[in-house]
Amino acid sequence: MRTTDHTETSNRVLSVLEKRFGDAARSLAPDADLTDALPGFDSLAALEYVTAVEGEFGIEVDFVGDDVRYWFSTLERTAQYVHECVEDQAA
Amino acid sequence: MTYDMLQRSSGVVSGESDLWCTYAAVRTLTWLGRIGDLPAPETVAGFLSSRRNSDGGFAWSAGMSSDAWATYYCTQALADLPAGGRGTVDGASSAWVRSAAHADGGFAMTPGQASDVWATYYAVRTLVEIYGERPPEALSDWLAALQAKDGGLAWSPAHAKDGTSDVRACYYAITAWSTATGGRGPLPWDRERLTNWLMDRQSAAGGFTFQDGDETDCLWATFRATSALSRLGETPRDPQGCAAWIRARLTPDGSFTRWPGYPVPDVWAAFCGVGALRELGAGIEDIADRVVDTVLTFRTGQGGFTYRAPELASDVLTTSAHLMARRFSDTGERDALRWMENCMMPNEHGIMYMPGRGSEVRCTLWALSAGAFEDDAPARARIADWLSGAIQNPDGGFGYWEGRASDMVSTSAAAEILRKADGNAAAARLRDIAGYVATCETAPGQYANVPGGRPTLRATLQALRALHGAIGADGAHVGDALARHRVRGGGFANEGNRVPDLLSTYEAVLAADAFGLQWDAGHLTKFLDSVRTVDAGFAWTPLMATSGGPLADCLGRRLELRLSPEQHALPPLALS
Repeated sequence: MRTTDHTETSNRVLSVLEKRFGDAARSLAPDADLTDALPGFDSLAALEYVTAVEGEFGIEVDFVGDDVRYWFSTLERTAQYVHECVEDQAA
Repeated sequence: MTYDMLQRSSGVVSGESDLWCTYAAVRTLTWLGRIGDLPAPETVAGFLSSRRNSDGGFAWSAGMSSDAWATYYCTQALADLPAGGRGTVDGASSAWVRSAAHADGGFAMTPGQASDVWATYYAVRTLVEIYGERPPEALSDWLAALQAKDGGLAWSPAHAKDGTSDVRACYYAITAWSTATGGRGPLPWDRERLTNWLMDRQSAAGGFTFQDGDETDCLWATFRATSALSRLGETPRDPQGCAAWIRARLTPDGSFTRWPGYPVPDVWAAFCGVGALRELGAGIEDIADRVVDTVLTFRTGQGGFTYRAPELASDVLTTSAHLMARRFSDTGERDALRWMENCMMPNEHGIMYMPGRGSEVRCTLWALSAGAFEDDAPARARIADWLSGAIQNPDGGFGYWEGRASDMVSTSAAAEILRKADGNAAAARLRDIAGYVATCETAPGQYANVPGGRPTLRATLQALRALHGAIGADGAHVGDALARHRVRGGGFANEGNRVPDLLSTYEAVLAADAFGLQWDAGHLTKFLDSVRTVDAGFAWTPLMATSGGPLADCLGRRLELRLSPEQHALPPLALS
């Protein structure tokens, strides 16, 4: 069940990136650094990414306290962060 | 004025491509029929495309708002690149350009701003030449209102009432008309008075100046004048003398330089020299090889171009940032200040972003804040005169450069400069600023960057600081804005109170200090820790792991100095 949840979360995060970066996101490795892997992934794109993930999952990111640079640097980490946020909300 | 410091270049090099320079380089190669000589055009396309925003427009630099200037330069340069290397230019940019149109037929540089002839020219060329669309019917009426009493054309209808004519305004307006009508529509101005005014800007030496009373001919003015006359089916009074003057700007081994005595070939000089000779029908084949060779040496590692050999391409913002971050030795500091003090066009007393470019209000403030002209009161007075005499718009505000419509960033920067100048003239201009600021108020104590824009923290604080220095402002509004945009974990956000950024946090502390308001050092420390990077710099937001460049490093360093036991005051900078 947990694996399925993680896969679904990853797929939904990936769909957020695909909307913004198209083909470049489709071939993204889970542990690839987004800044290196996606052309144009600058601070503005990172902000749009975090905001879109918030909207997709109904969560709120603490931009100063949560080390967003780390958690939103790869697809895998983002999915893990989102998963924990959702679990926290459900608890 | 001597230009030895510019030749050696003692400022600081950012190493980055610049949009203005990239456009000029690509156009020059295109006019020479040599765009095929451009190595790896796809890297140029990549640089240009990186300026595109999600609204479809393009910006001067990544992260800034779209404007008509950047949108034309990017779409035109992309269209000039060889097929296969240019990427795609889709219709979303045309829709963005139309979003900046006014019902009176003019265009604003950015939606909500007043129309000016720079923006109208860029918008019309983008719509007609890039997208094959028709401009608004009312365009001709708006252009017609630009003719001043002296026969020349001004930046806007309001400028025309004051009689401020300029060769650039003539070129932009005439080209907009020519582009919109194919040169066949009825001319919206008195042809004879306009033609005479333009021809009268040619000196006995053969070159042109921008305005009546200017003393030094320059290649930029000469190109714009010859182009404007050509679109009217006219030539300069002395076309041979003009061509000879242009060719006298060529260096033996390189390309064009800008005006007599100026020693450095640059990309805008190449653009203007080739463009002007083309308009005159003078041959350019014999100079093509060396111009191409020179222009190609201006490429940077990013794929675009800068204004001269990249290792010497200092700019004023980067140099000011290094000075204010205290990164120079004493000797280096003196040389850097002298270098910036030479960054002035003839006939214009503000400081430029790059040599040979028009003076820019924010750059002037950064350079003065870094110490330029600190011991030269007459030079500071000339800058104040330039601001109040040439740059201030009829609405009381200021734009980035002469003739560009007003915005809050530039108005705030100008107010800071004028406040340092003595005299009743400066005081009167400061009072006029309040008139423009009032047009940007969206709710009591809340302000946007331009009339009709959205309120933001930075625009609000810039407006209140400008008013504070002019007619006084209520510190309670500052306190309210800071409370509204305070991010719980640290720092301040420009919009809402969730995503803090370095520029807004800098502006917040600056405004709080200006109004004598208390702020929380622990809250600022937390924010600085979140944007400090492993490379010992500062990021613009907590989202990025690497430095935002010299300007971000400067702002972060100055905030650290503000937190130090000495509590060093923040320079009153404005950037965006």
